[in-house]
Amino acid sequence: MDGLLKDLRVLDFSRVLAGPYATRILGDFGAEVIKVQSKKTAKGAEDNKGAYFNAWNRNKRSITLDMSHAEAREIVLKLTTISDVIVENFSPRVMSNWGLNYEKLTEARKDLIMVSMSGMGQNGPWKDFVAFGPTVQSLGGLTFLSSYDKDTPVGLGYSYGDVAAGLYCVIGILAALEHRDRTGFGQYIDLSEYEAICTLIGPALLDTALNQTHIQPQGNQSPHVPAAPYGCYKCLGEDRWCTIAVFDDAEWRSLCQVSGHPEWVRDPRFSTLAMRREHSEELDDLIQQWTSKNTDKKVMYSLQKAGVHAGMVQSAQDLANDPQLQARGFFVPLDHPVLGKTVSDGSPIRMGRDSLAEWKRAPLLGEDNEYVYLELLGLTEAEFSSYIKKGIIG
Amino acid sequence: MDLDSWREKVAKEVGKEGLLARTRVLDFADEKASFCSKILADLGAHVIKVERPGGDSSRTIGPFWKNSCHSEESLSFWYNNANKLGVTLNLEKNDGRIIFAKLVENADVVVESFPPGYLDKLGLSFEFLSGINPRIIMASVTGFGQDGPRKGFKACDLVASALGGQMYVCGSPSLPPIKAYGQQSYLAASLHATVGILLALRRRARTGKGAHLDISLQEAVASTLEHVMVRYFHEQVVAKRRGSRHWNDFFCVLPCKNGFIHLTPFVGWETLVDLLNNEGMAQDLTDEKWKDEEYRAENLDHLIEVLGEWTKTYKVDDLFQLGQRMRFPWAPIHSPKEILASPQLKARGFFMDFDHTEPGSVISFPGLPYRFSSQYSTPCERAPLIGEDNERVYERELGFRKEDLVRLSRIKAI
Repeated sequence: MDGLLKDLRVLDFSRVLAGPYATRILGDFGAEVIKVQSKKTAKGAEDNKGAYFNAWNRNKRSITLDMSHAEAREIVLKLTTISDVIVENFSPRVMSNWGLNYEKLTEARKDLIMVSMSGMGQNGPWKDFVAFGPTVQSLGGLTFLSSYDKDTPVGLGYSYGDVAAGLYCVIGILAALEHRDRTGFGQYIDLSEYEAICTLIGPALLDTALNQTHIQPQGNQSPHVPAAPYGCYKCLGEDRWCTIAVFDDAEWRSLCQVSGHPEWVRDPRFSTLAMRREHSEELDDLIQQWTSKNTDKKVMYSLQKAGVHAGMVQSAQDLANDPQLQARGFFVPLDHPVLGKTVSDGSPIRMGRDSLAEWKRAPLLGEDNEYVYLELLGLTEAEFSSYIKKGIIG
Repeated sequence: MDLDSWREKVAKEVGKEGLLARTRVLDFADEKASFCSKILADLGAHVIKVERPGGDSSRTIGPFWKNSCHSEESLSFWYNNANKLGVTLNLEKNDGRIIFAKLVENADVVVESFPPGYLDKLGLSFEFLSGINPRIIMASVTGFGQDGPRKGFKACDLVASALGGQMYVCGSPSLPPIKAYGQQSYLAASLHATVGILLALRRRARTGKGAHLDISLQEAVASTLEHVMVRYFHEQVVAKRRGSRHWNDFFCVLPCKNGFIHLTPFVGWETLVDLLNNEGMAQDLTDEKWKDEEYRAENLDHLIEVLGEWTKTYKVDDLFQLGQRMRFPWAPIHSPKEILASPQLKARGFFMDFDHTEPGSVISFPGLPYRFSSQYSTPCERAPLIGEDNERVYERELGFRKEDLVRLSRIKAI
């Protein structure tokens, strides 16, 4: 199986998560992604022997190229002539300092599509600011808003922003490819991770701009979700929880039956959704008295069976054993020469097996040097070993 | 050629049409996936939002303009449906289904978020639609996907966030797990669906064949968890809630005079200690033993306490600027109000002006996170009113006569 992007070649300078997550999606669907690495940079999250690296770099090839060497630039230009797409997530000056900005690269490939993913974007007063996922999540409001209250910011505790920016990156590339195929023109895409986060809280930004609302974080509560009970309720066992959301009267009656409290249906405090929302604290206490005597699974299954929104709060272990994810084959095993048997999350983009490529674990450092430099670029053995000797490749 | 002259050349040769100007999309989705075709519309696709007569249920979701609770004034609907045309159509009426088939004949993409099996029951399965238009691409976004033992489970954002694994790792260890703000599971699914649609369009250009995309909210969430599954499968670590600390302690949240800063206790240690020491606030952190990263990791609580006393003497924006000058990836914890005032977003023109239905009223609207080199600007059309474009779409695009529309409206098909 070649995958539906089998004709696409991507030169990938990106590191850590946001860029690699984007090019992983392209690789999953068969694009030939050539990851440019070097001994100096293959550390930490970029260490080819690490599980983290393996997770975000499957289905890619790895070459080594020491960009600090002047001659590396010529090799990149040669690689550009045979590439459709270049992805990088350095801070804005890096590619230009190497003499490899978009204008220069289009001399090698006229219809090149290039994405520069940076924290802040390529211009503006903050363009050189250093940013990781948590940096942009803080600037973009997600940390403030995902908290119990305004005095104790909590946030997500992982780099969700990198994943969102990675998805936007792929959307930009594929849209630019559609445009290229129609018009013959390439595209330079300046993607700001900060802005990517801001798009994820759109209604809150409109509410603030138009209504001058001072939005306060309220944990799982929201004035905008027309449901009560609505929340995360403690269940039997250590750190076990189940979420429940009751939107209409039929669901409410079902919950009363399932929980063994048919008398709640007649309780005037809970007679309508508006009343249930008004008395949500009393209601939450009653619900939790019921849930805390039952397992999360039982609460979830009994409510779902009765047509009520309910979902247990699943840990990594629960996810790995989730019957729905298992039935759909969500987790994918791949053998790795150093890590042994590995498992990672599959693609949530499902359109039939034949759309995906035959998957391969992440590459070892420089594993594809010979293929890329000799077969694709057509360097002679002598040129190749001379580059290796000079430390440019290697 | 520099970027500016290049832009002019593109504009001259191919006009200013959007990247997806030739793509026609029908959006039947509620709040679970309306963001998907919003992105396509922002990229220039022709998107028709098809709502049931009276309006889609997502119009009841707040916040509302002037807090009105009016179905034409849901800001959430406005945001997720900008740059789309709007028509009404009742799929449960025979005539409605005939119109649906006509719409599909002329479309490239259908986005829908009905429960699995709903369209099949109406005789509008993907197979049926492919029969009408073999090139059609249909994206179905549901809680758990089209198959599997839980395909019939009900899902809202809260339930998908719980079953998708996001909530378990977010929040304080002593408090209940916390859901990410807003409707992140819907947005994650919409982003994945958008990628899938563009992939399917690319394959179709080669094969002529459409595709049925099956996107699950649960899987979309589970794909955004970064370290969580990697550590479980590799180290058998079950990640837990850690309050405001990043999973690997790389970031923590500390108080300032007038807000909070997200700060890195490990990056550039010597520079950081110098900063504190110059102000006489380093306490014992100047001791040799703190240079050892492992020691710092083991005694992080003390380190954070000392840092917190220092950060409290600063205004948050001053500390943000100071940290960034030292190349530290620090950031203030900004609220939406502060985002609206961001000089960076302003300089990049992230917010665009949309005209509103009320004359003279302009809305400042968040755009896409891209700047494209072709002279392409995002269209700025507000979300449609209920059935606003019925005439344009049904009469001008599909060729119905006025009297047909009157009849269809009378029998509540549109």
